[in-house]
Amino acid sequence: MPTIEQFIEQFLIAVDFQEPVEVTPDTELRSLPEWDSLAALGVIVMFDVEYGKTIVGDDIKNCVTVADLHKLLG
Amino acid sequence: MGLSTLHNVRFAGMASCVPKRVISNLEDCPPSQRSERERLVRNIGIQTRRICPEWQCFSDLALVAVEKLLADLQWQREEIGALIVVTQSPDYLIPATAIILQDRLGLPHSAIAFDVNLGCSGYPFGLHLLGSMIAAGGVKKGLLLVGDKSATVKDPLFSDAGTATALEFDASAPPMHFDLNSDGSGYKAIMLPAGGHRQPYGIEHAIPTRDEHGNKVHPGDLVLDGPAVLSFSTQRVPPAVERLLDYAQVGKDQIDYFVFHQANRMINETIRKKLGLPPEKVPTTLPDLGNTSGASLPVTMTARLHETLAAGKHKMLLSGFGIGLSWGTAVLDIEGAKFPAMIES
Repeated sequence: MPTIEQFIEQFLIAVDFQEPVEVTPDTELRSLPEWDSLAALGVIVMFDVEYGKTIVGDDIKNCVTVADLHKLLG
Repeated sequence: MGLSTLHNVRFAGMASCVPKRVISNLEDCPPSQRSERERLVRNIGIQTRRICPEWQCFSDLALVAVEKLLADLQWQREEIGALIVVTQSPDYLIPATAIILQDRLGLPHSAIAFDVNLGCSGYPFGLHLLGSMIAAGGVKKGLLLVGDKSATVKDPLFSDAGTATALEFDASAPPMHFDLNSDGSGYKAIMLPAGGHRQPYGIEHAIPTRDEHGNKVHPGDLVLDGPAVLSFSTQRVPPAVERLLDYAQVGKDQIDYFVFHQANRMINETIRKKLGLPPEKVPTTLPDLGNTSGASLPVTMTARLHETLAAGKHKMLLSGFGIGLSWGTAVLDIEGAKFPAMIES
């Protein structure tokens, strides 16, 4: 399992922010400027391609913070 | 049915036609959406699309494509035993578009003509259906017309196209292998809920509402569950491709080109990476021709490979997936087939 720091690095690429954004494990997903359906698709692909883990849209909907997303890898 | 093989069916040719009007995802949107659109285009990989004028139907594009193909093949109309149309954009709800095209094309009354209601996955299914009729011996020459009119100015994904494929009986033709699947439990992932018999059009479908982001939503519009479609495509397609290659006893290195339905860049790149395929063997028309629904396999073969496929012998893997949910893969050889360049109409 990647560390939370490595995970955040991948997460920033997957969401493809237009402007640089500060993200910590406690960052709430809803507070991110580009947390939308496209970001969710990026995260599903990231889990699949980078970590070989299958997640669905509802898994993401149930997550509040970035750390919650990281826990889906466990 | 899953895995199967057809014998005695020759792939004789293919032609594709797109409308002339080009829409740019970046430029043809309000300036306030420009930055958001740049991010969207980067991720879906679609810069421009083709859109029909209001009067033009999918069948008008397919008619132009099939006329060109018949001329190149020098086939006589009276030789055609079957005309199958795969579309979700018929001229009318009833009767079937294929029967109208039988008359417009001047095909004999003895030709079998009907429509198949499949979208993005449709091409391998249509190939198998027409191929089965030919393999059974009743039909000597047949035509398969595939495509949709699904582009709108607002939606950044879809693009219009009509295509024609010709198959004929040939006892010396190499086998065609298929893997065809359906999963109706996912029928809500892509659907047009209103207008059928479950939910006939009513006055409520004429009044737009607003979604949680304040965007205008028309109750009669297509509903597409992005995450569900992405998960379905990236989970189902790679193992289906591996399964068919295994069944056909063909290695990935023996396939000259892998042509996938052009869904969007995220889905297509994930599938390509999971299968470990080099980009040069996986042609794409997403940047310039968008998601052309069921037409995307022929459109991509015509736009990117028509000169290559018109010469020599090539082993192809074709994979369609989407609405239904439905996914189908075919492995076939193309040799000496007619492949005119992309037509605009």
